[in-house]
Formats: sequence, structure tokens, C-alpha cells
Amino acid sequence: MATLAEVCAMDARTTADDHASDLAIEMREIVKRFPGVLALDHVDFSVRPHEIHALVGKNGAGKSTLMHILTGIYPADSGLIRVRGKHIDGMTTARSREAGIALVAQHARFVPALSIAENLSTGALPTSGSGFVDWKQLNESAAERLGQFGLDIDVRRRMEAVSTAERQMIEIARALFADASVIILDEPTAPLPKHEVQLLFSFIRRQRERGAAFIYISHYLEEVFALTDRVTVLRNGRNACVFETAELSQASLVRLISGTEVERYRRPPRQALGPPVLRIANLTRPGAFEDVDLTLHEGEVIGLTGLEGSGNGALARGLFGLEPMGDGDVTLDGVPYRAIRPATALARGIAYLPRDRHGLGIIGIASVRDNICVSVLDRLRNAFGFLSARKMNDLTGRFIQTLGIKTPSQSQPVEFLSGGNQQKVVVAKLVATEPRVLLLDEPTQGVDVQAKVEILRIIDELTTRGVAVAIVSDELNELIDVCDRILVFYRGRIVREFRKPDPRMTSEEILNAIEGGTERADVAVA
Amino acid sequence: MSLWRRYVPSVLDNLIWFILVGVVIFFATQTDKFLTPINLRNVLVAASVLGILVVGQTFVLITGNFDLSSESTLGLAALIGLFLIVPPGSPTWGAGTELSPFISVAIILIMGAAIGWVIGALITYGKMNNFIVTLAMLIILRGAMLRFTNGQAVSSIDSRPAEIFNWLGHESAFSLPWLGKAPISVLVMLGVFLVAYVVLKYRPFGRELYAIGGNRAAALASGIDPDKRIRQVYMISGFLAALAGWMLAGRISSVQSDLGEGYIFNVMAAAVIGGISLLGGRGSIVGALGGVLLLSIIDRGLNLMQVSVFWIQSIQGFVILLAMFIDAQKVRFRGAVATSGALIEEPELPSDATPGTSAGNPTSTASGMARGDVA
Repeated sequence: MATLAEVCAMDARTTADDHASDLAIEMREIVKRFPGVLALDHVDFSVRPHEIHALVGKNGAGKSTLMHILTGIYPADSGLIRVRGKHIDGMTTARSREAGIALVAQHARFVPALSIAENLSTGALPTSGSGFVDWKQLNESAAERLGQFGLDIDVRRRMEAVSTAERQMIEIARALFADASVIILDEPTAPLPKHEVQLLFSFIRRQRERGAAFIYISHYLEEVFALTDRVTVLRNGRNACVFETAELSQASLVRLISGTEVERYRRPPRQALGPPVLRIANLTRPGAFEDVDLTLHEGEVIGLTGLEGSGNGALARGLFGLEPMGDGDVTLDGVPYRAIRPATALARGIAYLPRDRHGLGIIGIASVRDNICVSVLDRLRNAFGFLSARKMNDLTGRFIQTLGIKTPSQSQPVEFLSGGNQQKVVVAKLVATEPRVLLLDEPTQGVDVQAKVEILRIIDELTTRGVAVAIVSDELNELIDVCDRILVFYRGRIVREFRKPDPRMTSEEILNAIEGGTERADVAVA
Repeated sequence: MSLWRRYVPSVLDNLIWFILVGVVIFFATQTDKFLTPINLRNVLVAASVLGILVVGQTFVLITGNFDLSSESTLGLAALIGLFLIVPPGSPTWGAGTELSPFISVAIILIMGAAIGWVIGALITYGKMNNFIVTLAMLIILRGAMLRFTNGQAVSSIDSRPAEIFNWLGHESAFSLPWLGKAPISVLVMLGVFLVAYVVLKYRPFGRELYAIGGNRAAALASGIDPDKRIRQVYMISGFLAALAGWMLAGRISSVQSDLGEGYIFNVMAAAVIGGISLLGGRGSIVGALGGVLLLSIIDRGLNLMQVSVFWIQSIQGFVILLAMFIDAQKVRFRGAVATSGALIEEPELPSDATPGTSAGNPTSTASGMARGDVA
């Protein structure tokens, strides 16, 4: 394996081949300083026309800052930006747009209550002679324009009824027919279910064939390999190395991103299971899941996987009381259990880490301390019933230390932390409640590689103290690495169970079951 | 640099007090009647009714809701409080029940809380919009007052019960050097602020309100019952509005059907000037007190300067805009201060401060972490 210095030397060779005038984007020696922090330290970055170029790095490596400079949101302190060979002095948002650079954010910016056609022509609705909106022309031109990009969608549908992947494709198309030649995609797949990802990818590839260049920012390294032509790695605002994606292995890319040897985190399977904690029998919620039978033991980690809407996520949310739990027999430590609302679940020792971190996990404007303490306020009182600042500080300080939460202070608003650290704050909040059962819904989503490993390690450490964990996820490799058992949901039912050390517990086999491959009957279920 | 970063945020948080001092200095130089005991006492008395309303509103605003109805609750409570103590046979008005003033006061305070509960129930059980519910309640309660008074002014009668009823708005307690007698109403207002401060800062209840306003769904998922808390804050707001009504009735000794009308604008202005966010989740009661004092001082100061009454309202409006402008700059500035910390790029911590990053020390982590023992 080549060392970091060697591969960076390789990179110098590849970029030297490019003639400046042939590049879609060329950024040289970009420096950006924030008070007290050197965010970008002489970073080079270039994109060829007709390529999909991945920009990867940990949270806080400088990806966003670099893209903000390219789109003119911040000025660079020094450095050079050329777009198609033309030097652009003093990049502003307007100049960036003029030069054909467009950013497609994770959550596309549309007016949900208006139709697709209206959204595509905001500000310039065609009118008939008498000044009224000409709906026929509006819809026809919108359909035609989307058609050019291979999108066959009923443009009269309201934007809110359109799937997230379609929305992103529409946004990309909108940027393209506004003459954008370089499109920045910021974590486009994070909100997408798996099957829509493929749809989006083939759309992006088609647009590349037609001449567009893409900058693809993602934490999902599998996607980087599946989609992109070249990859630029940023680390601590430096070390901009460029590779042909095909020349890299996933392991070496992870190493470049983290700067240290990060191994995949593999949790040894539990040898002896503890006593059962949560027993679920014949639990049914019509339209969500049916006849769920499942026993979770002390110290056990199980994975619940399946297609979007197959019932695994609904089961977790139901058990936590965010959604109706359904009917059936559920006991927790032998006592009948019924979730009415999250407060009752937490009181009984069931904690839930939500998939939607910003919507349900963190209170962005509140401090790290307030977020961590919010579920256990009653336990942080002094003898007079008032909150004890000392107890709150102690609890927060302990979690900041043990979970390695990077924050300048306990009173830092959580919205200013990186994604991985936000997630650790949520984990700290849950762990503070001393749960018996932890339900984790996509715990590593939108979290960088290193934080991912740290979070998985935290989960493991909890199980050594008898906590039972259920992980809802479609990151199969992660599930295989940490779970003792993986249960596959299909159309609301558990159709298959994989138990370590089953040699068939591979991502191919599990994926097959997820897609509805096998019936439950052919597997021994304990 | 670090000194700068350390003190700037707290200066920004307490900006209202700097503005307040500036305004006091301005008026003191403009008129020598301003810094006199009688005038300062008048400022505080004028601030006391507004202040109590602002406390109630602050509780509601922190959860991300509005209570537009409190000025009508104030008016209705004042009216009913007087009504109930009138002896039988009074010529034009009154319930003729001649209740003890203590019972009358208890009734209106309970009524205020009950009105708040109804509002909260409509919002939480009825899933109705808080703005519309409280707007409707504002109109309904005002209508009720019109019905009870038939549009006429109701004066307090000269009796022992009325004297007792007027205690809160009218009487003074002990004497202070220079300032003179301390009005009961001012002491009560300060007491209400003190209790609110302690509750919001040091009771789990208060912290939960901030959590609900910051992110209601996340608060729910954290084991808080947002609907219950929202009903409770409306009860607090209604109760305090009734208390303010009792106070105001006692001070002016008469009630008209428009008593309290227009108060809500000053209430909102004072809360927002004091840094309470209309979006919820942000702001301290201390700031709100500053907002109340600022509005009262400006009102009083302009009067003393004999500015035409026709100008006073406009000037107050401009002051509100100016305060909000400064506040908007503050938010931007605060962002810059935070940025210099960990916002954009995480500072590199020494490796021993980040357990678990490498092959690390799982044992120490396992033992230290998350026992969650808080004792």
C-alpha cells in the first residue's frame, strides 16, 4: 500500500496532465481563515468537464467551506478560481451563478404547495394577452423542458406529492436548463431510501453524458465508488489529494479521509445471552407490521432491516410511543408494556435514537448541556427541588469526555456542532436515561467514518452493561459487523433471521431477503 | 482574543441593560424632573401591570406560542372583581353579591387560570392554531365586558371591602431612603419576576419549556409532554393577567369596557425587546424585565419632556424598531463569535481528550460512561 505522501505525488502527476483551459473548475491555493481557525490551507481543487468528482473528508475537513467559496458565499482570503479557463476575480454568488455553477442542496428548495410546473417557472409565469396565467403553456413548456433531461413526470402534480429523489432530479434539471455546467450535490442520498438512490444515480450519469460536470459530496463511500470518476480528499483543511476513483480501494480511501488507520468496527458476538428483556408476541399494527414475534436479551444487539416502509422503522417508533404501538403481547422485564407516548417509554427504560436528527433528535438552538440533560431533569435536582448546576455540569462533562464530543464548551448551541458530534449528543441524552432497551434508527446516518466507528463502539460498551440494543438500518455491512442477529422485514412481517455465526449472514444473502427473496419457513428460528 | 471571546457573548446577552442606561442618561440630561424619587416611583408603578403581563406572555412565548388574549383577561378580571364586592341594591351595576374581597380576588384569579386552560385545551386537544384561538378569545372576552358594563364606566364604591380590594394597586409598604414609600404593586411585580426567573432557570418545568420551544418534536421524543406544558403556560398567563387586572382596577378605582385595550402591543414589544424570541426556545425573563422598564421609561421621559402626545407613539415605535435592529445585528455577530469556535472547523483536541477515536481505552470508557448516576 502506498503511503500518503506517495499517493499525493501520484496526484500531482494526474493534475499536471490537465490543461487549465480544459478544466470546468480550477481552484488553486485557496486559503480561508476564520477567527482562530485556518479552515482552508492552500487547497487545490479541480473538476474536468464531463466528470463526476467526489469531494470527501470528515465533518469539518473543509468541504463545505471550499464549496461556499466556489459558490461565492464566503470570499477566499487568497487563491485563484478559474471556471472553464476564465479567471474569476472576487467570486460572489451572482458571479458563480453566471459562470454556470449550481448547488443542489440535500433538501431541494421548492414551494411544496405549488405544482412542479409552477415551481420550475417561479417569477416568470407565462401569461395570456389579458394578463392571466396561461396554464396550458406553463405545463407544456415545463413538461418539454423536463423531457429534454429524460424526466417523464406529470408537471401538474404538487411538489409535496413528489418523491425526494424526483425532487432532486427536478432541481438538477432546473439548474441545467438555467445553463449550469457544474452542479454541486451536497449529500444528495442521505434523505433517500435505497431504491431511489439508483434512480438518482442513473439520472446523474445520463446528465454527465450530456456534458454536465458534478461535484459530489458524500459520507457514503460505497456511493463514491459506485458513481464517481475522480475523488478529492480533504483533511483538516489541507492535503487535497486527487485520485482516479478506480485506482483506490475503499480501505485506502478511509485511511486518507481519517488520516489514521480506522478499521471497520467488528463487535464480537455474545457468547452467552443474558435473560430476556423485551418480549414481543403477535404484535400487529395494520398497515405497518403484522404478527411480529421477537425476544431481545440483555446485552444483545439485533438488527432490523428491510425496505423503506417494510415495518422495521414503524416497529421501533411504535415501541417508543411516537406512533401507535399496535395490538399484541409485549412485556418488558416480565411486566406488560404499552407505549403511550415517549415519556412512558423512557420511564420504563426504552430509549429511541431517531433517524431524523434535526427534526426529532437535537434542539439546535439549545446548548450541549441542555440537550444532554433534557430527559433526566428530574434527577438533576437538589434537595429543594431546583436544578443543580453542578449536577448538570457533571453529567454533561462526563459524557463530553467519555463519548469524545468535540465542543468548545458545554453551553455551545448544538446546531454549531458537526453531524457526528450532534449524533453523540443525542446518544448521550439517551444513555443518561439509563435505558434497558435502546432502539437506534439509522444511528450512523450523516456521520463521518470516524464518528461512525466511535458510535458503534459506544453501542458495544453499553451492551457489556446489559443494555439490549435494536438497530434499524439498511447499512448491511454495519449491521453484520455489530449485530448478534439480523431480522429482515418484508411487507410488515419478519421473513428471515440471520444469527451469528451463520455463514450465510452476508450482505448479498440479506439483501436477497430484503427484496423478498425467501420465506421464513426455510430458516430455523429460535 | 480569548478575553474578547469570553465576554462578548455575555455583553450581547445583556445589551438591553446598556441601552437602558443610555436612555436614562439621555432623559436625565434633558429634564431635571426625571431623576426624582416621585418620577422613578411612577415609572415603576406604570411598569408593574405591564411587567406582570409580560411574565405570563414570556412563559407562553418560550414554548413557541402566543397569547393575544391576556389584555382581555385582564379587563374582565378587573371588572368581575369589582362586580362581586358591590352590595345589593346598588343602582346601576354590580352583581349585588357583596362578597368578601378575598373571595372575589380568589374567584378572578381562578377564572384567569381557567380561561388559560380553555385556550390551552383548544390548542392541544383541538389541534387549533394558537394565534387564532387567542385572537378569538381576545374578542370574546372583550365582548363579555361590553355586555356586563353596557358600555358604561364602573367606579369603585367607597367602602371597606373596596379598600381591601384596592390594596394591591393602591397601597404602599415600607419606606425606603430617598425613594420614599415602596408601592405594593411594584414589590409584587418584582416578586413575580423573581419567581419566574427561578422557575424558568432552576426548575425542570422551565427547562422543558425551552426544549419545547426549541424543537417540539425533539422535546416529545425526549420524554416531555409538550401538550400538557402548553396548557400549563396558558394557565400561568391567564392567572397573571387576572392578577394584573386586580392590580390595575385597584390603581385607577374604576373599570371601563375598554380597560386594558391595546396592552398586548406593549407586552409583545417589551418581551421581544428583552430578547424573547417569537419563534420560541430563546430568551430570559431578566431581559423581559429590561424591556418593560425601557418602554415605561421612554413613555414617562417623553411625557416629562413635554413631547406632544401625538408624537409619543411614533417615537415608541421607532425605539422598538431600533432595539430590534440592534438585536438583529447581535444575532449576526453572535454567529461570528460562535464561528471562531467550533462552528466551521473543529479545533484539534489533544488526542487524550478524545477517547475511543483510535484503538483507545474501552475499559475506562465503559466504566465512566453513562452509568448516568447523577446522585
